[in-house]
Order: sequence, then structure tokens, then C-alpha cells
Amino acid sequence: MPDQDRLLTTLGLLIVAAPFALLAVFFAAFLGQRRMEEQTIGRLIQGAIYVSLVAALGAAAIMLAHHLPHFTIELGDWVIAPNYHLKFQFVLDLLSLSYVTLALGLCAIIAAFSTRYLHREPGYNRFFLLFAVFLMGMVTAALSDTVETLFAGWEMVGLSSVLLIAFFQERPAPPRNGLRVWIVYRVCDAALMLAAILMHEINGEGDFDRLVGEHAWPQHDPLLIGPHFALLGVLFIIAAAGKSALIPFSGWLPRAMEGPTPSSAVFYGALSVHLGVFLLLRISPVLDSAPWLSALVVVLGLTTATFGYLAGRVQTDIKSALAFASLTQVGIIIAEIGFGLRYFALIHMLGHACLRTLQFIRAPSLLHDHHQLENAIGVRPRAEQPQWEQRLPARVQRWLYRFSLERGYLDSLLERFIARPFMILFTRFDCWERRWANLLEGRKAPEVTEIVDEPL
Amino acid sequence: MNLTAFTWLEATLLLPLIGAATVAFIKLPAAAARWSLGVMLAMFAAAVATSVAFFSAPGSAQLRMGAFKADDLAAPMLPVLAILHLLTLLGTSKFYLTPMFCVRMLVSASATMAAVTCQSDAGLISLMVLLALLPVWGLKSLDRSVRGYLFYAVPFIILLLLGWTFARDGSPVWAIGLLLLAIKLCGGIAPLHGWLPTLFQRAGFGTAILFVLPLIEMVAALRLLLPHAPEWMLHATSVACLFTAVYAAGMAVVQNEARRFYAFLALSQTSMVMFAVMSHTVTSLTAALCLWISIILSMAGLGFSLRALESRFGSLSLREHHGHYEQAPGLAIGFLIAGLASVGFPGTIGFVPMELLISGSAQQGLGYSVTLALAAMFNGIAIMRAYFALFTGKRPTTSVSLQITPPERVGIVMIALLVFVGGWFSPAVVTSRHRVADELLQRRQVAPPPLALDVVRR
Repeated sequence: MPDQDRLLTTLGLLIVAAPFALLAVFFAAFLGQRRMEEQTIGRLIQGAIYVSLVAALGAAAIMLAHHLPHFTIELGDWVIAPNYHLKFQFVLDLLSLSYVTLALGLCAIIAAFSTRYLHREPGYNRFFLLFAVFLMGMVTAALSDTVETLFAGWEMVGLSSVLLIAFFQERPAPPRNGLRVWIVYRVCDAALMLAAILMHEINGEGDFDRLVGEHAWPQHDPLLIGPHFALLGVLFIIAAAGKSALIPFSGWLPRAMEGPTPSSAVFYGALSVHLGVFLLLRISPVLDSAPWLSALVVVLGLTTATFGYLAGRVQTDIKSALAFASLTQVGIIIAEIGFGLRYFALIHMLGHACLRTLQFIRAPSLLHDHHQLENAIGVRPRAEQPQWEQRLPARVQRWLYRFSLERGYLDSLLERFIARPFMILFTRFDCWERRWANLLEGRKAPEVTEIVDEPL
Repeated sequence: MNLTAFTWLEATLLLPLIGAATVAFIKLPAAAARWSLGVMLAMFAAAVATSVAFFSAPGSAQLRMGAFKADDLAAPMLPVLAILHLLTLLGTSKFYLTPMFCVRMLVSASATMAAVTCQSDAGLISLMVLLALLPVWGLKSLDRSVRGYLFYAVPFIILLLLGWTFARDGSPVWAIGLLLLAIKLCGGIAPLHGWLPTLFQRAGFGTAILFVLPLIEMVAALRLLLPHAPEWMLHATSVACLFTAVYAAGMAVVQNEARRFYAFLALSQTSMVMFAVMSHTVTSLTAALCLWISIILSMAGLGFSLRALESRFGSLSLREHHGHYEQAPGLAIGFLIAGLASVGFPGTIGFVPMELLISGSAQQGLGYSVTLALAAMFNGIAIMRAYFALFTGKRPTTSVSLQITPPERVGIVMIALLVFVGGWFSPAVVTSRHRVADELLQRRQVAPPPLALDVVRR
């Protein structure tokens, strides 16, 4: 038995150590001012992913063979102070191993695809550095057994996503969209951080085991009742909503398509967009603590799915259409979690991530094939309108079309009621501060800062 | 080698003074810069040795020089402050590196480290007054108006002297209030912060950084204020600090000039540290002492990247995208990692202190944690906005190379190592700072009130 534990611990640590070593190599190359060759980078990335993947599959095989549903890898207490306890800990169970295997499998495919797709691209090294950060973040988040470990991975995924959205940085739109996504991510990061603090207040530490009991996922202790758990659930839902682009944060998903196709595929089609789903699955016992929390998750999921379907119907570019199709499925998976169908949601998530990755990386060549087909037959094939849409009154059809085209006015609403008032308020403060400074300095003409039209 | 056998503290404090006296007689800027760099490196080595000597033999008599002593509070700060000065020197362009600038920087290094190690109240007050007057010298050397700055500096000095004079005997509340007001002025706590962005705009960037980042007012708060200040006064100040942290973070988001952005970011971060000091629980004080270190290092790194960019392109606007990544990718990476470390990004030196601060604030009420998380969120947004504005966009064509210079390369490597490798030492830093926090709270003569969460639990 101790041998088996040691082996599982070694394999579990190897899953995390390989991406970490990869990042260390990139860091050393930066410090040493060494520019790595494309081929070297490709081999390093694929090597790290394969080592992790083999370790994950090995761990899964051992656990299956020994009917071991749950195994914890403790790295010890990182920081201990009165009223504060920071611990890094990993868990091997059905949820974590499924998600990490999915992440590593898809990353292996995308890494192989990208080495060819981005061949001789000026930002080749930058892409793979960010890809390595993403991989590290994803693996850390997937295996996390404490909220701090999850938070570390969560932030790394967010940062790499945003910098990859702004990958084509010579154009103005990618950085602008990257910033928008970063703002949403910061909101959900703040919610996750507050949830972590609340977990510490409830249990004195951030272990998921302490929160829901040391049972194999998705079983848990039945006694998770109280206002603290409800608030914790709300904070987790906000964090998940931001990361998975649920309503009202859905506006960032099509903006994220500015990045290169491989990153869109693995981030917004497959892994990053499902990280919120993963979080809700991990803390699903907390959702059971109050029926209204589960109901909230169902409503959020179904609303997002409906919105994703409607907005996806009117998209004119393939990546946006796929992004909204992803959103529809993510919404349905979230609703399944709310209904308590945890295994079903997990299987749905795994299947959807694989399918969507395939669709994203096939998209450029699909368009090419489609154009060839159109040229061959001489006309553009007509898209059939669903029956139920035809039965709607013309006015409703027009309204729905406009609503979908404007993406549910979500961006406009957030901009009008949050971003713009914020900008106006603080620009006014800035203006007054400059006047005050000029007054003290005895300058005559106070500078007036104009209020920008485009917030942030 | 027995580190405690040498008088490292004297070397740390006196080397820059001797260096300043020598550099003052050098006419050639290049020679003055070389001398200053040599002195700074020697000072850094001496500061590290002092720190190591303290932790290997804390009670050693060699770590004392008159009223100056490398104690538990000061020992780890000496290398940090030496790095701040070293980075500032490395990031200064040749154009601004005049002999007088070097003298000012060396005097500032000596005075700052002396203030941190000073055990006498009178000595600390004198050094704070000296440090407050250094920016006047900086402004004068650039032929800029000092009027705006004096509106702050003069009341600060008067309040500090009055407060200290009357607070010594029996500590009347109004005298402590004067002292507190002086500390708030020095820390730029709203609404007394107007001088800080103006100083960054009008004075040299390096001068402003060296005045604001060391947070000497924190030493004054810990040594002079905390033992005597009544609860209500500290509580009211902590709320003001919290408000300043959020307000300055919001202001950093909307700035269109790089220096003002940096000024408000620094203000937000330093206000968080002051909030933690004023909260005066063991956890918050530990967080304050850890944040003090991480903020100096990360903000020094951020300032280094901005100054290196300014030396190439002049004043930087955040209104449009400049595309400097292609010309100076090292600076872009340095800017990003230092900026993220300052907001507590995981894996960096700022992560544990920020977590500790926000978690610790929950003891006073969840509202405090929410507000701090909001400030951290705004700061993160401001940093990424500035990064995108400076480093993305269409690159300008230039006929001369704008690649980073060897000293800048050294600076960036230092920043990267400090930010990432420093993060690994967080547990040891927290343990040592927790001990200091405990000692500081034991000196307090006023009983603390029950914590909000304790009341709820009862």
C-alpha cells in the first residue's frame, strides 16, 4: 500500500512538474538572452505534455486497478500564520483526472498543430511561452485540492488567454479586446479570491476536502447548510460565470476570437471556457446547500444557452459562430449541474471540448472547401430556417434578429451602466485634482481632461 | 567566514555618504556615474551582509552604530532599499545622470537606510525632514517650481515637529493627532494626496520614486504612533487608507499619462500597506511588513521599465498604442512581471503578502476584504491597460537602435529574479515578519478592541 501511495504521489507530481520544468526552461532562456529555435520549442512543449499525459494516464490506471476513488497529494503548508493558512495540495479523483487528461490530450493536439500553423510567424516564441503558462495553469487548476492552488492556476489561465487574444498586437483591435476580457477576468478573480477568504473563515483553511468532506467526488457530507455556504456559492457562481462567459459576461467570448486559431480552439472552444464548469463541478456540494442556488445555476445556464443559440444564428464569421455554439453547450452543461446531473455534465463537457476543438482547427480549411464547393456548383447553398422561427410573427422575428445581432445588448448595457459612469466619475476627479494642483502651483489655465468616448 | 565580525552596518550607512562626498568633486558625468554604481554595489553587498549577519547572530554588537541598529524590523529592509536605489541608478538615462543627481541619490540611499535602522525618535524625525527636503533639491536642479511641493512639505515638517515635541510627555491625544496628520500627509492619504502625482509629473521620475517608495512614514507609524495612538484614531485612519487605495486604483485606470498612472498605482499600493499598519492586528501587521518588501521591489521594477522607455521616447501617453514591444521586448516583459507582482499575481513575490492582507482584513469585517479586492482588481486593470498602450500597436520606424543597454539588461534580470525567485522565500519572510508584528503589538499601550468576527462568533 505505501508503494502504491508513493507511486501515485510521484505520478501526480510529475503531471505538474513537467509543465513547470518547461516554464523554467523558458525563464532560463530569457535570463540568458538565448533565442530558442522553433524545432527546439516544439520538442520541449510536446515532450512536457507527453510526460504529463503519460503520468496522468498511469495514475488513472493505478487508481482504477486498485478501486481507489480519491487520492490526495499534500505538498505541505506553504505559509502558516495566525488566522491564515496557505497550503498547496493536489487531488487525484474522477473529476481532476478526467479534466487533466482532456486538457493534456487537447494541448498535445494543438501543440502539434501550432508548430506547423505558426511556422515562421514572428511571434512563434511568444505564442509557445504563453501556451506553456496556459498549460501550467490548466494542470494546476485541474488537480487543485485547495482554493489557493485553484486560484493560482485560474490566474495563469486568465493571463495567458488575454495575452494570446492580443497576440496580433500590431492591430488595434486585439489589444482592445484583450483588455475587455482581462476586465471580466479580474471581476471573476476578485469573486474567487473572496470565496477563498470565506472558505478560510468557515473552515480555517482552503481545502475542498474540509469543505465538502473527504469523499470521492461527487459525494459529500450532507451538512452544508447556512448563510455562509449560500454566499460562498454565489461567489463561486460569479467566478464561474466570468470564466465561462455566462450571462451577463458573455460579451467577451466573440472578442476572444481575435487570437490565432489554435489558441481560440484550445482556450475558448475547449478548455478555458470550461474552467467555470469545472469549478462548479468541484464545488457542486455547495450548490446543494440551498435549493435557490441550484435554481440560480439552472436559470443562468438555460438563459446563456438560449442567448448563445440566438446570437450564434446571426454570426457571419465561422469563429464567432463556433464561439456562440460553444456558449450554448456550456449553458446546457451548467444547467445540468444545477439539476444535479454531475456525471452527465462531466461527460457532456469532455465530449463537447473534443468536438469543438476539432471544429475550430478544421474551420480555416472548411471555409476553403466551402468556397471550392460554391465555385463548383455556381451558387451559394441556402441555409434552411428552422420551422419554429417561421411560425413567429414578423415583428418578433425582426426583434429577435436585432437582439441577436446586437448580442443581447450585453456589451452596451455593461458599458452604459458600469464602464461609462466609472470613467466619467474618475475623469472628473482627475480634472479636479489637476485644477487643485495648478492652483497650488500658481498656474493659470487648468488642464481639462476630456472624457473619452470609448471606455478603457 | 564570520560575518558578524565586521561592522557591516557602518559600511551600509557610511559608504553612500563617503561616495556622495567623493562624487560631488567629480566633474565628468560618466565618471560620476561609474563611481556611484561602484558605491551602490558595495552598499548593496554591505546591506546583504548586514542582513545575513543579523539573522545568523541577532544580538551581535557589531550590528549597532550609535542610535542605529539592524533590528528585526530593519535587517531585511536594508537589501531591499539598496536594490531600489541600485535599480533607480541603472534605469537612469545618461542624459540625466549628472554628478549632482548621483550625489542626491547616494544621500537619499544613506538617509533612507539610516531612517529604517534609527532607534532614536529625534534621529528618525530629523531624517524624515531631510528626506522630505531632497525632492526640493531635485525640483530646483530641473528649474521647476517648488511651490506646489512646499505646500505639502512645510506643513508636514511643522506637524511632524509639533507632534513629536508634544507627544513625548504623557502623549496627549491632540499631539498624537498632529503626528498622525503628518504621517498621513507624507503617505498621501486622501484627501492629502494632491502633491504626489504632481511630484511625479514635475520632478525627475527617479527622485519621486526614491521619495515615495521606501515608505519611511511607515517606520514613523510603527515606532512613534502605534504604541500610543487610541483605537478610534487608528480605525478612522485605516478607513481613510482603504478609501485611498480604492480611489487611487480607480484613478490609475483612467490616467492618460504614464507618470500619473504610476503615481496613482504607487499611491494605491502604499495606502494598502498603511491600511494594514493602521488595522494593527497580528495578521494585518504581518501582511503590512511583507507587502512593504514586495511593493518596493515590484514597483521599483515597474518604474525601471517606464524610465527606460521614457529615456528613449520622452513622456509616454497612454491614449494610443505605441508598439514598443518589437523594439524593447525585455522592457515589456519586465513591465508586465513587475506590474503583476505588485497586484499579487500567483507565483510572484506579491502573491502571499496580498493574500495575507486580504484574508487578514476579513477579521475586521468582510466589507474590508471586498474593498481591498476591488482595489487589487482596479490596479490589475490599470497595469494591463498601460501594458497594452505602451507595448502593443504598430511599431514606429527608427533609424537608431532602441534595444536595451547592458545596464538595463542587468536591471531586467534583477527584476525577473526578484519577482519569481523572491516568491519562493515567502514562507520564511512571513515567519520572520510575524515575529516582528508580535513584538510591535506588545509595545502598544492601548488595549485592542474585540475583532468584528469574534463578536459575531460569540
